[in-house]
Formats: sequence, structure tokens, C-alpha cells
Amino acid sequence: MKFKIYRFDGEEESYDTYDVPNEEGQTVLDALFYIQENIDDSLSFRYSCRGAVCGSCAMLIDKVPRLACRTQVKKVKEIKSDIEDYEALKEGGGLSDEYVLIEPLPHLEVKKDLIVNMEKFFKNYEKIKPFLQSDEEPEKEHLMDPEKVEELEDYTNCILCAACFGACPVNGENEDYIGPAALAKLYRFHIDSREDEEIERLELADHEDGWWACDFYTNCMKVCPKDVPPNFAIGSSRQQLEEKKDEED
Amino acid sequence: MEGKEILEHEVIIVGGGLSGLRAALAAGKKGSDVAIISKVHPLRSHSVAAQGGINASLANVPEAEDDTWKDHAFDTVKGSDYLADQDAVEAMCKDAPDIVLELEHMGTVFSRLEDGKIAQRPFGGAGVPRTCYAADRTGHNLLNTLYEQTVAKSLDSYNEYFVTSLVTEDKKIQGLVAWDIEKGRLVGFSADAVVLATGGYGRIYNRSTNALINTGDGAYLAYEAGVALEDMEFIQFHPTTLYGSNILMTEGARGEGGYLKNTEGERFMKDYAPDAMELAPRDIVARAIITEAEEGRAFEDEYVHLDLRHLGEEKISERLPGIRQIAQDFAGVDPVEEPIPVQPGQHYSMGGIDVNIDGETEIDGLYAVGECACVSVHGANRLGGNSLLETVVFGRRTGKKIGEDLKEEEKDKEKIEKAIEKDREEIDRLLSGEGEVIYSEVMKELRETMFEHFGVYRQEGSMKEGLSKVRELKKKFDSVYIDNENEKFNTALVRTLELKSMVNTAEVVALGSLEREESRGSHYRRDHPERRDDEYLYHTMVEKTEEGPELYYEDVTLGQFEVKEREY
Repeated sequence: MKFKIYRFDGEEESYDTYDVPNEEGQTVLDALFYIQENIDDSLSFRYSCRGAVCGSCAMLIDKVPRLACRTQVKKVKEIKSDIEDYEALKEGGGLSDEYVLIEPLPHLEVKKDLIVNMEKFFKNYEKIKPFLQSDEEPEKEHLMDPEKVEELEDYTNCILCAACFGACPVNGENEDYIGPAALAKLYRFHIDSREDEEIERLELADHEDGWWACDFYTNCMKVCPKDVPPNFAIGSSRQQLEEKKDEED
Repeated sequence: MEGKEILEHEVIIVGGGLSGLRAALAAGKKGSDVAIISKVHPLRSHSVAAQGGINASLANVPEAEDDTWKDHAFDTVKGSDYLADQDAVEAMCKDAPDIVLELEHMGTVFSRLEDGKIAQRPFGGAGVPRTCYAADRTGHNLLNTLYEQTVAKSLDSYNEYFVTSLVTEDKKIQGLVAWDIEKGRLVGFSADAVVLATGGYGRIYNRSTNALINTGDGAYLAYEAGVALEDMEFIQFHPTTLYGSNILMTEGARGEGGYLKNTEGERFMKDYAPDAMELAPRDIVARAIITEAEEGRAFEDEYVHLDLRHLGEEKISERLPGIRQIAQDFAGVDPVEEPIPVQPGQHYSMGGIDVNIDGETEIDGLYAVGECACVSVHGANRLGGNSLLETVVFGRRTGKKIGEDLKEEEKDKEKIEKAIEKDREEIDRLLSGEGEVIYSEVMKELRETMFEHFGVYRQEGSMKEGLSKVRELKKKFDSVYIDNENEKFNTALVRTLELKSMVNTAEVVALGSLEREESRGSHYRRDHPERRDDEYLYHTMVEKTEEGPELYYEDVTLGQFEVKEREY
């Protein structure tokens, strides 16, 4: 299989195409390592766990934000993506049956090749105060309803890979939109039964670059490697905020 | 010409996994200026991949209502094949309930029982269900919780910095040198205390569950600085790793009732551990699988089946959702419908940097904690659920100790500058394009050599051959080159620096394995199948000297549990 890969050395952009022999079970990350180890060692990319849990290797694979380690080369051309088209996908290289197209995650500054600057993504994460705020100090554990835990797991499963950030059309249009992952994280703390009731978490994103920026393209949920549904969190939060405003009026 | 920048911090933690973050939080509590240096973003650390759980005698489930820290300590010492230091094991097991509750208070969403308490599941080598868990994503949940705490405390973090040297003077830490991966420059750091929390050295093996970044960097740094490495020959092979990619299939899968079956459809563990069956300790199950393969009862001579089908879709989805997803993504197998193909693979490094119970090394101001260290709580074989526990218990202890002991002293900046110069020379050599061999070739050969000669089963002849191969590869490192000069985000350069850690730690693993003429825990010698307490109930220590590695033995700290034969 051929791989057409976006390259940026800090000054110039280009695309390089490499021929990688097929192997059973080969992932896109395996292919990138093959290239780096056997053809061109100047190729840069992030990696760590190679098992879809650490969130290092999100990139654009045939115009879909995916984890390189979780994407089987054999299946890239088979799997159909149902994400909504957006501006960033129209730029860069074109799709072809001749090669797998690999590009950095959109909506973040490219540092080198497939490595993007994650600072903006993590700044947004920090904005929502991502830590439990509980005044209770029970002698043992807080008791929690197992069903509540199940609901929370939908959101705690987020690995902060930023695939959703790169897939969200709104993040492409609005530089200040804090994005699906940060909002899902905020919601995770909001619904945590241990958090102090006094804390008005939802209000942290009650502005035009928070809950209200989303246009429900649902690309976030579609590309999430962990099936986190930020769009549900956003919908539910908006409803709760509206209800609260109605009560106040 | 780059300037010789030297940044100052009171405490520097190298590594952003559970041990490092927990140590950073504890050290920072007393108002010390703490910074974390990590070659990856902390959330990408290998702790994130831990699946099954964390042990603590909370006694939350009815079968475990009488569970105590002593029972936990006994299981741990027995599991270690009596090589663990019993004072360290006691300290860990006593602290376990408190540290798990602390993590819960910080925000970890543990799985719950119907009554709302933290759920506990059975794990290998444990007398009762003692393993607390967050589905099968326990490491991910704990790491996120601790990272969230560092955000709350606004701790400084230098991400994507690779530490190339420690700087010491008269057995006192002065600081360190690190390669800024993004900018492509060396930076000096001065510090009153440095904590190594860099994880294990699993990737010196080709079949490993470990993240690709687990290359023994911290162990190598300490070794170079003159600290002994302890019990490095004890490598845990996890019995159930996914055939092909060797991604971990948690012991929790067997804890929840999964079976291991051979080509004849038999639960073959009945022949190896008739009482414990699939929940015998990892070393025993791993050897059983290899034996099944050698005797012709493995699929394609390579793997056996981990069969979860009888658990049903509901239980699999609720308790083992991550396993199901990984099996589907990486092997195209849905465990609800089909058995999972598994084989043993390297999983954990029991050995590491010689430290005491407070994480102190023999160098003043240098500490180590977590998988890169050897306290030793795991001895010759670690029990599942004890590694996450070790990271946080000893992370906290070490951080507290630093908070108490910190003394500000003038640092030898000239020495740090000299270390920068020396490391610069090496990087220039690697980037010069002149050499004979590329890193990946040496790395591949090293990994194959280690698995072949220092794997699940070992014997003298093969190990001698293996050691000489490792030494050749270590020599080859001097002629390794990189074929591109761009200093920024040079992934190949980082891999090459890791290779240096790998060849050096591999040599120590090889030496320890060869010299230990007995079988104990994970170290199984076909030529010496018996445990020999008279000769080898000792820790192996290897120190770097001018004449090469020097090996000696040190006493095991025994205690309340009498050394006995280990039967399951």
C-alpha cells in the first residue's frame, strides 16, 4: 500500500509518497514506523501506547480524524465515514484509491509533519476546571449508584486525543470555541454526584464560545475512538441552562 | 551556537505517570517548587494502559469481609516467591485502603457495588476479591484523576523533554540535562531533589504489552550515575496478551470467570494449578501456556484461547468493555462470539533502581519510584493489582519525604554545563550522518535476542549466547547514525537515545539472569528448576564500574511470613 503523507519541516510544506509492504494486522501507526525505520527517518509523529488508550496519535487518515494505532491499513478504504464535510477537509491533498492520505489533525497549528501544537486544546480543557470539587470528606468512599457510574463512564472514557477538536466544523470557524472534549469533560464533573451542589459548573461554559457555539454536526461523536458523546452533553446542558433561566425569570 | 541555559527548580520529577504525578503532588504540598519533566505529555504515560485494578483490603464484598492488610501482605510475599522485602510490602499493604479512598476523594470514578461502595474483583494470587477497579480502564481513570490534581495545583510541566544525563557531585544530585524534543536543544536543570519515575524497561523485549516508550531510561540514568540496579532479571510475562499485537488482555478477564483453553478445548490449567486454575499467579499461567505450545496443544503453535463467551454479552460489556473493544479493533474478534487468541508477552519489570522504602537512592537527593524502582515489593513475581498500588503509595511516601528533607544548597552549575557539552557531542555525532547502522536495526535485534534468550524459560547455554549478542549490540550503538539533520521533533533521534537506555539495561538483565542459578517466580531456569533459598534468597545488585558491570548480592528483608514452598 502507498501512503501519501503531509510533510512540514518548519519552513516548507510538501507531500511525500511511500510504498509500504502489507502485513497482516498492520495499523497506520505500524506503517508510519515502517517508513521511519526503513525509508525516511525524518518523518515525525507522536505515539506511545499503540493500543488506543493514550490518545497520542490522532491524525487525519483519508480525511477522517482517527487514531493511527487503531486504524487497520487493510480497512481504511473499506470503512465509510459519515462525518459532515467541513472547510479544513477541502484543503490539502486529494483522496485516491492509489494511496492512504495521512495529514495532521486540523484546527491546530502544525509543528512538524504530523505533529500539531496541543496547547490550545489543553488550555480549553483547563478552562473548565477539570477537577472534582467536593467539600464532603467522608470517612470512607462516597457512596455512588452503579447506574450513575455507568452514565459517568460515557464521559470519563475520553482520552483527550483531540480527534473531535479536529473533526468539529465549528472549531474551524470559531477560534475561541472551547470544543467538544472540554465540554464533555465539564459535563462529566457536572453530573458527578460527589460534586458540591453549590458549584455552578455549567455556567463556566455558558457563553457563545461554550455550550452555545455547537451546531450539532455530531462529528465529535462519530470520530471519537472511545464513543464519548459530547453532543449529548451539550444538548443536555443547554436544556438545563434554559430551564434554570426560565425559573429565574 | 546554543546558549547553555540552566533552569532552576527545587524538585524535579522525571516522568508524568502515576508515580511521578503522585510524588509531585506530595512534594508540592509543602510549598516546594516542583516541576515535572516528561518525554511525552503526562496523559500519554504507560500508566494509562493499566486495566484490571488496584489492590486494597477494603473488605467491601461479602467474600472478603474479614480481609486485612496482613492477608494482602501475605499474598504479596507468597506471590513474590519470598523475594520481596517484607517491611516494604507491609508499608504498601497498610497504606492501600487509605490511598484508594484518597483517589476516590480526588475524583476517580471506581466501579461500584449495589450498595454504592467501591467494587472489588478477584485477581490472580489473591485469597479474596481485593482488586478495586474502574471497569477495565483503571489506569486511565487514575492517571486522569492525578493529572487533574496537577492542573488544580498549577504544577509546572516540561513535556516532550528527554533526560539525557543526571549530574552528581560527591554522591549528591546537582541537576540534569534534557533534550527539548520540540525545539531541538539541550537544557540544563539544577535541582535539590530529582525523582526518577520513568516506568519499566519492557520494550527491550519484542513481544511486550508495554507502551512503545517503556525503554528503561530512568534505570539507565541511575545506573550511569552509579546507583545499583536490583533484581533486573525478574521480568514478568503476562499470560494473556493479544496474539499479533501483544496488547494486554487483563487478568480481570479471568477474574470475571474467563477460561483458558488449548486446541483440544481443555481448560489446561487443571494440570498446572488445580486449585487456583486460571487465577494462579502470572508466572505459573505463562509457563503453562508455553508448555502447551511446546507439546503441540496451541493454535498455530503460538497461542491459546481466552474464552469469555459463557460470561454473556451483558457482563462482558459492563465489566470488560475495553477488552471487547481492543479484541475487535486489533484482532477482529468479538469475545461475545469467539474466543480471544492470546499468548504470553513481556508485561512488567519487577527489578529496577535500588531504593529504600522512602524512594531514596544512595545518591543524596536522587529518588526513584514506581516501575523504574525496586523497593522491593514484588520480588520475583508481581501480583496483578499491585503495580498501580505501588505507584501511588510510594509516590506519596517519596514526595512527602522530599518535602521533609529538602535542603537548599549551592549547585555546581559548571558541572551541569559540562554535562550539556558532553551530551551535545553525542547528539552531534548521531546527527552527523556518519556511522554504520541505523537505530531500528539494533533495536529489533536486541528485542528478538532478549525474548529468545531471556524469555519465559531460560538456560545457561542460551543465555551465554544471548549475553554476548547483547554486548555486541551495545558496541554497535557506538556506530549508530541518524539519516536526517533536522533537530526539531526528530523522532528518530529520540528513538536512538532510547536505544542507548535499552542496550545498557538489557545487559544488566542478561547478567542477573545468567548468574541466578535457580528458578524463582518469573525467573525459570530449565537447568535449575528448583528454588535454592540457601544460595539465592538474595537480591541481585549490579553496579557500573570502570571495569564493567559488577554483580553482588544483598539480603532480603524477611519478616512475619516464613519462607515456604509456593503452591497454588
